[in-house]
Amino acid sequence: MSDTLVFILAGTLAATVPLLYSALGELVAEKTGMLNLGVEGMMAVGAASGFVTVAVTGSHTLGFLVGAGAAMLVSTLYAVVTLFFLANQVATGLAVGVLGLGLSAAIGKRYEGTTVDALKKLDFGPLSDLPVIGPALFQHDIMVYGSFAVIALLWWVLSRTKLGLVIRAVGESPDAAHALGYRVRLIRFAAVAFGGAMAGIGGAYLSTAYTALWADGMVAGRGWIAVALVVFGSWILPRVAAGAYLFGAISLLELSIQGFGLNVPSQLLSASPYIITIVVLAVISRNPTFIQLNSPMSLGQTFKPSS
Amino acid sequence: MRIARNLSSLTLSAALVLSTALASTAAHADKLKIGFIYPSPIGDVGWAKKLDEGREAIEAAFGDQVESVVVENVPEGPDAARVMNQMASSGAGMIMIGSFGYMNDGLKLAKRKSDMTFIHASGYKTAKNFGNFQTRNYESAYVAGMAAGYATESNTLGVVAAYAIPEVIGIINTFTMGAQRTNPDISVKVVWLNSWFNPAKAQESARSLVAQSADVVFSLYQDTPSVVTVAEEDGFYVINTSSDMKKYAPTKLLASMTIDWGPHFVSQVQATLDGNFEGTAYWGGMADGAVGVSSLSDDLSAEQKAELQGVVDAISSGSFHPYDGPVIGQDGSEKVAAGATLDDGSLLGIDWLVQGVETQLPN
Repeated sequence: MSDTLVFILAGTLAATVPLLYSALGELVAEKTGMLNLGVEGMMAVGAASGFVTVAVTGSHTLGFLVGAGAAMLVSTLYAVVTLFFLANQVATGLAVGVLGLGLSAAIGKRYEGTTVDALKKLDFGPLSDLPVIGPALFQHDIMVYGSFAVIALLWWVLSRTKLGLVIRAVGESPDAAHALGYRVRLIRFAAVAFGGAMAGIGGAYLSTAYTALWADGMVAGRGWIAVALVVFGSWILPRVAAGAYLFGAISLLELSIQGFGLNVPSQLLSASPYIITIVVLAVISRNPTFIQLNSPMSLGQTFKPSS
Repeated sequence: MRIARNLSSLTLSAALVLSTALASTAAHADKLKIGFIYPSPIGDVGWAKKLDEGREAIEAAFGDQVESVVVENVPEGPDAARVMNQMASSGAGMIMIGSFGYMNDGLKLAKRKSDMTFIHASGYKTAKNFGNFQTRNYESAYVAGMAAGYATESNTLGVVAAYAIPEVIGIINTFTMGAQRTNPDISVKVVWLNSWFNPAKAQESARSLVAQSADVVFSLYQDTPSVVTVAEEDGFYVINTSSDMKKYAPTKLLASMTIDWGPHFVSQVQATLDGNFEGTAYWGGMADGAVGVSSLSDDLSAEQKAELQGVVDAISSGSFHPYDGPVIGQDGSEKVAAGATLDDGSLLGIDWLVQGVETQLPN
């Protein structure tokens, strides 16, 4: 039983990393009003290109950079089409997502089913050997700890800085922001590119650190979960992050419960992370006014500068 | 010759017409052209790779008498029908249909083209010129289970399984019975992934089983080496299906259950060439060389390996069947009486687990 507890505690942080990076990137994009549904495809591109880079060069740093860059390129395609050709955001996001999945298959084709060395875990000496706490907190790679920094930094930027204010203003009322002289399209473009890079990192983490193998389709819906987490986290950063951790923990708990031999249908257990995360996030934001207040007003709407 | 190896299914039709038109002007008329269609890319390991090794066996056996055309990564449905029709109209005399979902389109084509022959993976329909093929992986699972029974110290085995379908259930049962043969105190825990494909979840499942004291994990129908690589990293024994995965876990691979379509493919090509092809339902086992156990770990002693080989020989010769009674079900009831053996029909529809498996079937 205690081994199982350690398994869940130790596994949750790493299992959550791909979701966390992707969801936070998507959150920033959505804060400016850009609903990019292509996260699954962007993650796949990041996973494939990051994996190939690590396989060829052996450098994880390079792998994350290339993964982030490749996914960012895919996301800028979405940004250009929606911002400058005023295409529908939902349709474009879906199209770019499918394109990304196809691209990832092409990029990774020669590496189908191969493996690389996983990203090294950091060594904290005696701290790593502490019971329960050691495996839970001190036996992870740099990207796990980096995700804490990213959460803190993004929270600070969005809620405490002028840049955050501008980002939110663009999402609430692009016309007003434009009238004030802010370059709405540039800000939106940058936010989408940032979201793409983050999704790329999330994908690259999956293929070069978490599983350390490439197989076509291995993102397996995590991009969609990231999008859903943003919505159910009602665009509040700590809530989105908490939702990601909750989802990660329950998906591991589900596997453990199966092993215990409880007579619960495993299909229901497989669905439980989704169900529980949705229910919890829905309950804590059950006030419709509250959700309306937090949802960026211009989310999903195209913006055309009036002059 | 691998025409169209890297083309997407959207452009392959045109390429096929072109390439086969070119080829047929050069090739002599009595050369048998064989089309191969796979549902997934040919990777390092896995389903399409095993089928393609069968193709290589054909080429090795018949050389210039045959010419193969491969189209991989074809989604089941209209695309597959188009690919098969193209193969037929460009002079293929035989088609190897590599996925369950191609069955009906392939059968339709077979009815129109009575001069062609077809062999179909894992289906259940046959016609005069349309046969199917499957493997008796429960046989190799029994032997792998015996190895697991020897290797375990915690007496707990874990299985990461795809879906609770008869084939998977049948394998878990013989794996368990094999383990009980060498270690009567064994218990088996199963995690059902409810997915054919999710490498990350497969790894998490393996780790969750190890956290619940399993020290041998059976990666059952995971097409990627996901569980195998974790085993090497975390230091528990692993057994896997379909391909030999020794290179992914050089020290912790206990055994690989392998399949080999070569002998069957070769016999079917021979029958086509001889004009005596019959659409049979082939269920190949150890006796045909279609399934086997490879890369047994050196941590097993020579006596233990000899014991395993003895069972392989007994299964191959037909003197032993993994479902020889008595077989006791999970609920304690007798499923197969002493002296009896489960018949193939019941085995194909098996929906109960044996005693020793702790996890229930999803219902």
